[in-house]
Amino acid sequence: MNTDRFDLGGGEPIITLRDVAKSYWREALEIPVLQGIDLEIPVGAYIALMGPSGSGKTTLLNLVAGIDRPTGGSLEVCGHELNSLDDDQLAAWRNAHVGFIFQNYNLVPVLNAFENVELPLLLTGAGRGERRDRVEEALALVNLTDRMGNYPRQLSGGQEQRVAIARAIVTDPDLLVADEPTGALDAKNAEEVLALMERLNSEFQKTIVMVTHDPKAAHHAKHQIHLEKGVLDKAVEVNR
Amino acid sequence: MRWLALIWKSLMRSKRRTLLIVGSLILSVFTVAVLQSLLTTLNAVTNNPNSSNRLVVRHKSGLTQMLPRSYEAYLRQQSEVETVCALQWFGGYYQDPRNFFANFASDETTLFQTFREEFGAAGISEAQIKDYLRDGAGCIVGESLAKKNGWKVGDVVPLTGTIFPINPRLTIRLIYKSPKPSDENVLHFHYKVLEEGVPRMKGLVGSFWVRTHRPEDIPRFIERVDRHYANSAYETLTETENAFNLAFVKMLGNIGAIIQGITAAVVVAILIVTGNTMATAIRERTTEIAVFRAMGFSASRVLGLLLFEGVLLVGVGGCLGVLVANLAAGAVRASLGMAMPFFADFAILPDTVLACLAGAMAIGLLATFIPAYAATRRPITEGLRAVG
Amino acid sequence: MILGLLLAAPFLAYLAWLIWALVAYPIPLGYNLRSLWQRKLSSFSTAAAIALVVGIFVVVLSLAQGLSVAFVSSGRPDQALVLRPNARFELNSSIERDRMRILKVHPLLKRDAEGPMASAEVVVVKLFPMADGTDTNVTVRGLEARGITLRPQVRLVQGRWFRPGLSEVVVPRKMQGRFPSLELGRNLRMGGRDWQIVGTFDAGGASYESEVWSNVNDVMQAFRRESYSAMLARLESPERVEGFLKAVEDDKRLKLEVIRETDYFKELTKAGDPIKILGNLITLILTGAAIFAAMNTMYAAVAGRTKEIGTLRALGFRQREILASFQWESIFLCLTGGLLGSGLALFANGIQTGTTSFETFSDVSFAFTITPGLMAQGVAFSLVMGLLGGFLPAWRASRIPLTEAMKGG
Repeated sequence: MNTDRFDLGGGEPIITLRDVAKSYWREALEIPVLQGIDLEIPVGAYIALMGPSGSGKTTLLNLVAGIDRPTGGSLEVCGHELNSLDDDQLAAWRNAHVGFIFQNYNLVPVLNAFENVELPLLLTGAGRGERRDRVEEALALVNLTDRMGNYPRQLSGGQEQRVAIARAIVTDPDLLVADEPTGALDAKNAEEVLALMERLNSEFQKTIVMVTHDPKAAHHAKHQIHLEKGVLDKAVEVNR
Repeated sequence: MRWLALIWKSLMRSKRRTLLIVGSLILSVFTVAVLQSLLTTLNAVTNNPNSSNRLVVRHKSGLTQMLPRSYEAYLRQQSEVETVCALQWFGGYYQDPRNFFANFASDETTLFQTFREEFGAAGISEAQIKDYLRDGAGCIVGESLAKKNGWKVGDVVPLTGTIFPINPRLTIRLIYKSPKPSDENVLHFHYKVLEEGVPRMKGLVGSFWVRTHRPEDIPRFIERVDRHYANSAYETLTETENAFNLAFVKMLGNIGAIIQGITAAVVVAILIVTGNTMATAIRERTTEIAVFRAMGFSASRVLGLLLFEGVLLVGVGGCLGVLVANLAAGAVRASLGMAMPFFADFAILPDTVLACLAGAMAIGLLATFIPAYAATRRPITEGLRAVG
Repeated sequence: MILGLLLAAPFLAYLAWLIWALVAYPIPLGYNLRSLWQRKLSSFSTAAAIALVVGIFVVVLSLAQGLSVAFVSSGRPDQALVLRPNARFELNSSIERDRMRILKVHPLLKRDAEGPMASAEVVVVKLFPMADGTDTNVTVRGLEARGITLRPQVRLVQGRWFRPGLSEVVVPRKMQGRFPSLELGRNLRMGGRDWQIVGTFDAGGASYESEVWSNVNDVMQAFRRESYSAMLARLESPERVEGFLKAVEDDKRLKLEVIRETDYFKELTKAGDPIKILGNLITLILTGAAIFAAMNTMYAAVAGRTKEIGTLRALGFRQREILASFQWESIFLCLTGGLLGSGLALFANGIQTGTTSFETFSDVSFAFTITPGLMAQGVAFSLVMGLLGGFLPAWRASRIPLTEAMKGG
């Protein structure tokens, strides 16, 4: 496999995958999900990972985000060789470098918007005042300052996802990973969320890796990477 | 405490569930606290520090057999002895046979010295003691007994004898306070009333209560007295007051074993119920736990948060249970204390409270650990996939 | 009693409706049972907690019953006990020899070939060493040969009855376990002399099983008693007891009190009241705890099946059928616990224990007897828990709208 096929623009790579493989074991049977993935993603990239279901796109996202481990090859993300980190170090690494955006938002129902956004900051040792400033800043960015005290059930789907995005960026991570971020949203809200992500990429230089099967969503990314049966198929630069 | 709010809100996720389990815990811990306190109350009876200097001399054959009062002279001669009080359980009642309280015919001249810890409490008036000593038909009663029956100094109390065929009419000369409630539920009257009223008691008494100078003297004294009267017509059994009381506590039978059995069953039940509740609560949160971990919470931090939640849940139930038990202690004293004299001293002691709380915490930890550990060992990706 | 019935009436009516619903309505019971099975861990742990509470309930019941049986089966309605006035108990009582002479030939007593059926007796208590090394007070009863025939429930098991003048005793077989010194053939030291144990007896659970028996004169001599304690006598019929009572109490020479034997033992039974009340309170409180736990489990079961219930409603099941079906699910859950608990209580079966009557200052021994009746009570008790614990969750389930079936999640 040749990395030249995937020219994702210049710049320092933030994600480097070398011959990454992942397989699951079902009883004695090995089921390969990803094979021989070689990929470099530069800082500031906005990638849409696409492919039919079962192609391994979510698995690849999980590996890059450090919530799953490869069965072969090596990953260097945000300056760390992920294989060399133990589980606790990996957790700390995620807290510092990765923000997550999920399809179902996954807000904690018993916490209000402010408290949900504050959650990852609890791990950073930031004091109360600093936490407040950063949460307010993040919520202002997603334009939900007035909804700070609302609980998830009092928010619309689009608002919930925006709170989730605020939670993802509050620690100021280098990398945002999103798994079908618009999958549960109607067209209007989806558009809003995608616009927000685009802004995070262009204005705040966040590197974004997004899994989606929605061509409209993928159109917002700078590049689309297609997977097919566990191997990289092609990369397309999006003309916006 | 930046985590406390988070843990508290997690507990309140399902208010009804938390309320039900806390209710269940309150009732269970209440039961255990009361049962264990019954045991400690009984144990306190046989470990009375006030009686470390005292002994009881009685007939070897049992409580119903009498000793000659002449034995008193020999007992007094012993160098270890400070004072001797002849004392006989009268077993009378006032108005209603169900209205139980201890009443004794006792040697008024040595009573106050022998039981000075019991009578020595605040403000016993010398003048009133003199009144009692002077009035051969007088009696003294403890304050709580007097209160219950509405007695005042100078009132006449007619006692109906059950063991002895006399019904003495006694005038209250002194109402005393005592450090322990059970010691206040007592009436004493002059020994002569019994001796002169009942021909068969002439020159006889049920027991001698001996006060020694020092507790160390006791073993030697016991040995000498019992040897002295061995093979006589009236053989003696001498034992410490605590050992004497132990025989009465024993009379309740295997109550200790029954209480421990019930406690063990309740503890296991709490463990199961709490474990089940926490397992449900954690199962509901499978996805949420995965999200927490994705955000950078380490497995051990999540485990810690869940354990703390379990401990808090059981802790709240435990604290409230102990609190209710404390509030109910008065009722137990009033009800059981009337039926069985020891329980007049019933109280939930700090030791029992601590033991119950520590036990509750341990149960919380243990019950939460298994589901929580399993939850944090689960791969994050699997948790995210689960339908939450 | 009436209040109890009033309180029980709604329960019974509801239970009757549930049983009727089982027959008349198409209740998806199989579905409910499979759901219980599907949530094995949760169902089983709830059942286990209920089992423990039911176990405690049955053991406490058997304790209370053991105490009652020990006394109640001791008396006969056509027999009477003569005591000193106000004595209330044999141990407190005394009857001088001259009075006893008059009493024993009282014209109202029943007679047979050997004369009037009456036994002059003496009761003392004596400290006996127990198996655990401590001592406890045991009643020693001195009686006449007549006294044995007046107590038909007492049966010789081993050896022979005591003979007068020889310092012989017979002991209850059931006491031998708790008091190792009471072995057949061994000597017993009391009242300054040795007594040979010549026989063991059984009294069918009556309180005599806590007493050591010997000849009345031997006991009086050894314990230096000048007077008897009481006299037990049989009358021609239960109705004659009243007449005897009046005759003796009015007789100026006697000045004694007469109590029907059954009443006497009823009075003694009250010694166990505090234990009974305490036991009932504990069970009541723990029942509350168990009901809360069952409610929790059932609420969780209902909450986890919102969609399923919506689907059942969409399929045409009516609210009352959903209510009945979930109520039955809860009842099955608790009944499982009840059966387990009643089984668990069997471990306590046959354990001999003792307690002391504070009225008589002597040991009363009895065995935990877990009868099928008690076990059935335990199971019935778990049924009540199932009713109470399941009602609110079942009600909630029946209120779930059928539109829930269409929702996601």
